[in-house]
Amino acid sequence: MLLLDYQNVLIQSVLTERFSGVPPVNIDQTVSDFDGVTFHISTPESKSKILVSIQVRCYNELLKYGAQQILEREYGPYVVAPEAGYNFSVQVDLDSLPDDKEARDDLIRRVSLLKRNAMAAPFENAFDEYHKLSEEASKFTSEEAPQGVQEGGEVKAIHYRDEEAIYIKASHDRVTVIFSTIFREETDRVFGKVFIQEFVDARRRAIQNAPQVLFRTDPPLELQGVPGVNNNGGGEIGYVTFVLFPRHLTRQRRDDVISHIQTFRDYFHYHIKASKAYIHSRMRRRTADFLQVLRRARPENEEKERKTASGRTFKVQGS
Amino acid sequence: MSQQSQSLRPYLQCVRSSLTSALCLSNFASQTSERHNVPEIEAQTSPEVLLNPLTVARNENERVLIEPSINSVRISIKIKQADEIEHILVHKFTRFLTQRAEAFFILRRKPVKGYDISFLITNFHTEEMLKHKLVDFIIQFMEEVDKEISEMKLFVSLQKYLVGDTALTLRIVECTGKICCGVVLDTDVETQPRGVQPKDGGRNK
Repeated sequence: MLLLDYQNVLIQSVLTERFSGVPPVNIDQTVSDFDGVTFHISTPESKSKILVSIQVRCYNELLKYGAQQILEREYGPYVVAPEAGYNFSVQVDLDSLPDDKEARDDLIRRVSLLKRNAMAAPFENAFDEYHKLSEEASKFTSEEAPQGVQEGGEVKAIHYRDEEAIYIKASHDRVTVIFSTIFREETDRVFGKVFIQEFVDARRRAIQNAPQVLFRTDPPLELQGVPGVNNNGGGEIGYVTFVLFPRHLTRQRRDDVISHIQTFRDYFHYHIKASKAYIHSRMRRRTADFLQVLRRARPENEEKERKTASGRTFKVQGS
Repeated sequence: MSQQSQSLRPYLQCVRSSLTSALCLSNFASQTSERHNVPEIEAQTSPEVLLNPLTVARNENERVLIEPSINSVRISIKIKQADEIEHILVHKFTRFLTQRAEAFFILRRKPVKGYDISFLITNFHTEEMLKHKLVDFIIQFMEEVDKEISEMKLFVSLQKYLVGDTALTLRIVECTGKICCGVVLDTDVETQPRGVQPKDGGRNK
């Protein structure tokens, strides 16, 4: 069963190797990740200074929601001016690594989580907003709450892929995360629907405290009036809504929640493709079976008279 | 043959005998254009060589149309499709087969309107292949296609459970902050506010 990691495995392995004490070498590697994210690992100045840069297509949007602060909080002293063509860079000096092993591993882990941390900004922003709103709302009873508190904050949109986006909206009692995801064909849409149905069923069956998941093909009401939401209702785009309740938003859980939610799309589409691939191989096998049955209908070729090149024939002895 | 389900047997038996009697073909040159020999059921040019079409129906979703003529028989099958996912699977499967129509000598590239898959058997086919084996093929096809579709559907549902389950572990992980596979007992179950449930019921349609 596939459970996606949150870190970039390639960065992790490169850094682990470099940190293990082998003599420094030149590195120049471009690494791709989900959602069109590109990393560049290089040693521009000297062999011992490793520069890791990230390029995210929606970086401007992330900046708007405080990505810079979050990345500075995570990487503090390692942050350097971004490399040309990239959005954000960190530089690790092999000569001044932390001494104890645990601190090094932690550094590797943090650098390989670069994408996750960059994308986490709007989520953290929304969670903070939720805490602020809920504090404000606790001063009122539900009837007399002023308009602003009841409505919740504005919708934060992150256009992290060409045609797909994440929308996050904080309210005083929940945070709503909406994925818009595109289905290239009808089959994907049907499979997607079946899978999402299971989220709903699972919640009903066993896990009551999982976030609520909803699926629909037209934009949910939360997205009304948000620019860039395609409202033609062609059925190609599906909207998956997660409703995070206060118990998911506590300080100690928020990091996990953010990590999990980010991998949702990749996970979801992986399963759709896996199902399709399996069904295709199955159909291939079954078609071969049918062909064999049909071939049985053809009578066996009768033994024809065989001749040599010179025109002589074989004769069965005794006849 | 012995393993086919009891309820399906009369239907398949009926198709089998109708088909056997319809597969009584002879060589017949076209009456309308000289030196042509075309399947009359497809050409539809001389009504006097077409015989009465026959539908064998199990219910409105499962039926077989047999259209006989003097030198060809067209058999169209409508495969059971109970819901959206079966519809997709049937569509995918029949498309897969028709794309390989060359290998299946008797398969028609395009189904007759209102049916999922069609076969065309001409007198040339019956001349070079054994008639009863051809009938066997059609019957076995009908049997297996249903089985295949339901198995594929089962698989999708299974995958769906896996997705759900992993998602579920994911959610549990979210809830408890512990990364464990398998069952994680969440201590919050008891303390969780009950007021959440009605909201759930109201939101889902």
